[in-house]
Amino acid sequence: MTQTVPGRHRAAAIARKVAGHVVRGLVMIWAVATISFVIIREIPGNPVLGQYESLIQKGMSPEQAERATAVLYGFLPTGNLWQQYVGYLGSLLHFDLGRSLSTPGVEVTTLIGHAARWTVLPVLAGTLLSFLLGVTMGVYAAIKRSGRLGDALALSGSLLHGVPVYVIGLLLTAIFATLWPIMPSGGPVDVEFVPGLNPGYIGSLVHHAVLPVVTYTLASYGGWILAMKSNVVAVLGDDFILAAELRGLRRGIVFRYLARNAILPLFTILALSIGMLFGGSIFIEQIFNYPGLGLLLVNSISSRDYALMGGTFLVITVGIVVANIVADLLYTVIDPRVRSGGAA
Amino acid sequence: MTAHTATPHAAARDMEAPGVRIRDLTVVYKTPAGELPAVRGVDLTLAPGTITGVVGESGSGKSTLALSLLNAVQPPGRIAAGSVEIDGLGDVLTLRGEDLRRARGREVGYVFQAAQNSLNPLKTIGKQLLDLGRSHDVEDPRALVRDARDLLARMGMDGARVLDSYQHELSGGMRQRVGIMLALVLNAKVVVLDEPTTALDMITQATILRIIREVHEERALTTLVITHDVGAVAEVADDLAVMYGGRVVEHGPVTEVLGDARHPYTRGLIRAIPRLTGDLSLARALPGRPPTLGTLPAQGCVFRERCERRMDICETDDPAAVTHDGRTVACHATGRPLELVGREELV
Repeated sequence: MTQTVPGRHRAAAIARKVAGHVVRGLVMIWAVATISFVIIREIPGNPVLGQYESLIQKGMSPEQAERATAVLYGFLPTGNLWQQYVGYLGSLLHFDLGRSLSTPGVEVTTLIGHAARWTVLPVLAGTLLSFLLGVTMGVYAAIKRSGRLGDALALSGSLLHGVPVYVIGLLLTAIFATLWPIMPSGGPVDVEFVPGLNPGYIGSLVHHAVLPVVTYTLASYGGWILAMKSNVVAVLGDDFILAAELRGLRRGIVFRYLARNAILPLFTILALSIGMLFGGSIFIEQIFNYPGLGLLLVNSISSRDYALMGGTFLVITVGIVVANIVADLLYTVIDPRVRSGGAA
Repeated sequence: MTAHTATPHAAARDMEAPGVRIRDLTVVYKTPAGELPAVRGVDLTLAPGTITGVVGESGSGKSTLALSLLNAVQPPGRIAAGSVEIDGLGDVLTLRGEDLRRARGREVGYVFQAAQNSLNPLKTIGKQLLDLGRSHDVEDPRALVRDARDLLARMGMDGARVLDSYQHELSGGMRQRVGIMLALVLNAKVVVLDEPTTALDMITQATILRIIREVHEERALTTLVITHDVGAVAEVADDLAVMYGGRVVEHGPVTEVLGDARHPYTRGLIRAIPRLTGDLSLARALPGRPPTLGTLPAQGCVFRERCERRMDICETDDPAAVTHDGRTVACHATGRPLELVGREELV
């Protein structure tokens, strides 16, 4: 009964918060789209105009060349900057990012969609695995920090945190694909299986994903364990933990108080790193020959495929912006202090 | 099961407050220079149903003494010797594991300093109350919530609203009252308050002190109040113990100790309090600095460096606490009845 009025206030506050975040996110995306438009348009040698001119040289009429270039980039190569910009934003609204140069005729959105499949699942699995592992070990490292186990755990975190991801990847390939070949050396799946929901294909997918996922897990595990350890140590020093013990609370309950307070700051980092996964992991995809977003970005840069480049950047931006919004909203749900802070 | 057996026991305990006897308590802290005593050879008796105030400067060992009552001295500290007998509970220092956990909260309530956050920021007060009940096998959570609400109402708050609130939604004074509620709701008969009014404004301080006094009388508690505020303790306590350098240097009824201080340190402490009327310069700070763990003298009186009544014997002999007319004083110069002092000087 007394709940309804504050409850409604709370709901309204959350709705206002979501709306504010979405508007700010859209502004961010618009800003990045504008910047990438200007860069591609103003890059030395002007690739758009260059494309247009090379098409004319190949014997196209200016009208044909203009249309062909517009299809490629999503905006007309001629006309003033303002007209081109309006055309670009217009096609963006229809989710038209233009067409790829290096894979002629294929839409950038299609390419990104294909690559995303090979990025999102393995990187997501790696992120979540390393998060769970790192957080659990971090708690142990903090509680046993004056013992040998704690030292060993903290050391493993520092070591793995310091080793570059490509070293871990190459080492794992050398051991498990070359020296002791129980794992495939690369590629996302064996070609002999028919894609679909059949056990052979899925088994092969999983088999191929093991090394990339493990690499990613090991690469980010160090950061989680170190962050969690320091958070737990900080919360252990908080008065409410001692107070809970002095009130005779059960160990399990005190542990939950501890863990929930310590893990809270890590959720932001988790949400952000999930947003970052749309950038793919260039090194891992290169080493394991995984046709993901990172590899797509690298290839688009090396083949000067500006439309694809711009499109990939935009997808990464959207991923990060969305992750930021999700992280903030997640806080609203799990941290009561942020909740009422927004309403006040 | 526990609730059934606990009821007659609780009823018996309601009749009279338990006494607390601290004997020869020594707590040491591990430091690079070895183990140093924060509390040394302390004897202190809390008479049943009284409020005993403990005053002393920072580092005098008063908080360590308070934690000892729950056998909760935190590492690198360690209780090296002594006993803390609580009626109906036995020697707290011999309790281990689950027995100790159950005694905390149910037998001995502990109230933290208000400025410190003694509540989990992520849970409502009500949920933390239920956690407390679950930890102590309370069979009827509704009754627990009702008791909590009554206690909060008793302290002038809207119980239902407070239980629905998070820590950050409450003021310092409200948090402190919530802390007192959590210490009392399981019907603990011994209550330890560590700096209960520090960092509160004057009005709230007065309110909290009044509440402590009233609840103490209503519930027939034995209460220990740790503070560095002599004014606060004068208002609320029956007995007063003065700590310096890990020793209880003076102990007695609060009016007598404040009205006729015997230990030079107590006198200095009282002189340092500014008066409401009269010249502010009449308040004189005690010269020198309180000892830290590292600067405690290895032998002799801990207070001699700052003492105006210092004698030769103070350099070498630690004065024993001597009880006379219900007053305990540990001082070579003033602590003993005159004829005793005279005889020692003759020797």
